[in-house]
Amino acid sequence: MENMDSLMQYLPFLIPLVILQLALMLAALVHLLKHNKYRFGNRVLWVIVVAVFGFVGPILYFTVGRSEE
Amino acid sequence: MRGFYAFIKKEFLEQIRTFRLWILLAVAVLFGMMSPLMAKLMPEILSSMNMEGMVIQIPEPTVYDAYTQFFKNFTQMGTLVILLIFGGTLSGELSKGTLINLLAKGLPRRTVLLSKYVAAVIIWTVAYALAFVTNYGYTVYLFPETDVKNLFFSLFCLWIFVCFVISLIMLSSTIAPGSFGGLILSAGALVVMLMVSIIPKAEKFNPITLASVNVALLEGTKSVSGLTLTVSITILLILGSLIASILIFEKKKL
Amino acid sequence: MEILELKNVSKRFGTLEVINDLSFSVPEHSVFGFIGKNGAGKTTTMKMILGFLAADQGEIRVLGEKVSYGNTKTNRHIGYLPDVPEFYGYMSPREYLRLCGEVSGLNKDRIVDRTNELLPLVGLDGVNRRIRSFSRGMKQRLGIAQALLGEPKLLICDEPTSALDPVGRKEILDILSLAKARTTIIFSTHILSDVERICDSIGMLHQGKLVVQGSVTEIKNSYSTDVIRLEVGAECQTDQISKELKQMNFISRIVINENKIDIQMTNAEQYGMNILAYFVEKKIPVLKYELLEPSLENVFLEVVG
Repeated sequence: MENMDSLMQYLPFLIPLVILQLALMLAALVHLLKHNKYRFGNRVLWVIVVAVFGFVGPILYFTVGRSEE
Repeated sequence: MRGFYAFIKKEFLEQIRTFRLWILLAVAVLFGMMSPLMAKLMPEILSSMNMEGMVIQIPEPTVYDAYTQFFKNFTQMGTLVILLIFGGTLSGELSKGTLINLLAKGLPRRTVLLSKYVAAVIIWTVAYALAFVTNYGYTVYLFPETDVKNLFFSLFCLWIFVCFVISLIMLSSTIAPGSFGGLILSAGALVVMLMVSIIPKAEKFNPITLASVNVALLEGTKSVSGLTLTVSITILLILGSLIASILIFEKKKL
Repeated sequence: MEILELKNVSKRFGTLEVINDLSFSVPEHSVFGFIGKNGAGKTTTMKMILGFLAADQGEIRVLGEKVSYGNTKTNRHIGYLPDVPEFYGYMSPREYLRLCGEVSGLNKDRIVDRTNELLPLVGLDGVNRRIRSFSRGMKQRLGIAQALLGEPKLLICDEPTSALDPVGRKEILDILSLAKARTTIIFSTHILSDVERICDSIGMLHQGKLVVQGSVTEIKNSYSTDVIRLEVGAECQTDQISKELKQMNFISRIVINENKIDIQMTNAEQYGMNILAYFVEKKIPVLKYELLEPSLENVFLEVVG
């Protein structure tokens, strides 16, 4: 419990971090659900990548997955 | 010169509208917040994993741990993100053919290459500065003692290293075909340099050193003067890559 | 003055000779149709004019200035429409034209003026969507607008109509007809009816050389042999007829399409009688006798075939 308390103490620092990560993930999810063309892979693959790989997923989606069309 | 400004403007618009700029800035802020937090929280997390009375002795984290995390994030993930963001900037245009219209209007090819490079360096610099400011803010709040040595030179070393990586992307893009050609070849070149860095004698001549000595500089175990040769070589390599890429690009079949 | 001049230009890719000692010139204010089969070397020639490919031999001059490979200053006189023009999909047409204008060194007001003239001309006025949502025809029309932006002395269009449906083709040809008042146009194609609609002079590229060159009417009259089209009864032995007709020495070629027989010959007015006489003698029912207008297609088939 003592540890939980000390984690709570850093909450103001953790919240922006978590918000930013979630924002990235949401942006990628919204974009990839609104489009159905990708440079490679399919929707299921990209949803998994974006949801599972933390902030790396959205980066991969926006740099190599997103179609320019 | 007007072509240069026009093309740089186009580059920024492209990075904004393809979301790449936002991704890079978001990752920069993320690194800035994450690095000091990870350093601070790691002992707590480890000790919370109470393993049958086993006591894990972890020294109280210091500001050096925070910077270690910061530089580690940037040299590993950061370089990868830079490769992903800028890897296709020229390769993509060459394989799609979007430059044809503009080159047919008399836009010099070297202008295309240099404005792409300058735009990428500006974007990288802004992202890096943002990351550092965030990191600094967090560090000041989380750690009692924040004095380190050679901070700006240490930051400069990593900055110039990434500028070198971007010049490598430009060169690779003019050599390797395909829309991922520039990305793959420059990543390959970095892997080779990483392998060479195992040889201690080559250390002084390898730009990758600039991305590995950062914490040692802060601690004062490495001196600024000991790195002037490496910095000079890296600057020469940047110029060399840019000149070579211009020469190759000017003679490239389109 | 000659806008474009090619002198003894050759180009090979490996062992494949694509352009072989090609020479021709295009005078000012004309529409030059550059005709050839797919793979005849039309695009290669155009890319050499633009300095995108190096000529192995010979020289190319645009308004008297020599074209150099790589970065060529001569491109400031040229507007180029590639066969499939590619754009930045994240821009609107207006933004794209502004980039093109800035790159070609036009000042701000000029860019706005030209954009306001050109967008209605190509039927994209008021289209503010991003280019990535454009159809092929729209991209082709925007391609013409960007090519005409700097008021080039020479407009080079590489197969501008080939990838389009009939409506799209007509739109492009109409736009080019309008542009012809202001600039010299080179227009490559394998669609001969397009050429007949807008070109003044043509060159036919075959095996790396121009085999025919001149004004459209001149060529049609001097090259084209006359063609008589006969429509015979459905039950007739067209193969047999063709075999027997070929015995006549004034007939150069016979093309059969179901019950239509196209007979190519030297002088239809004089020898047409002989053909009719043959049909009468054999008692073959003739449904229709027609003297076809000379067409470039016949010239093309004769020269290339």
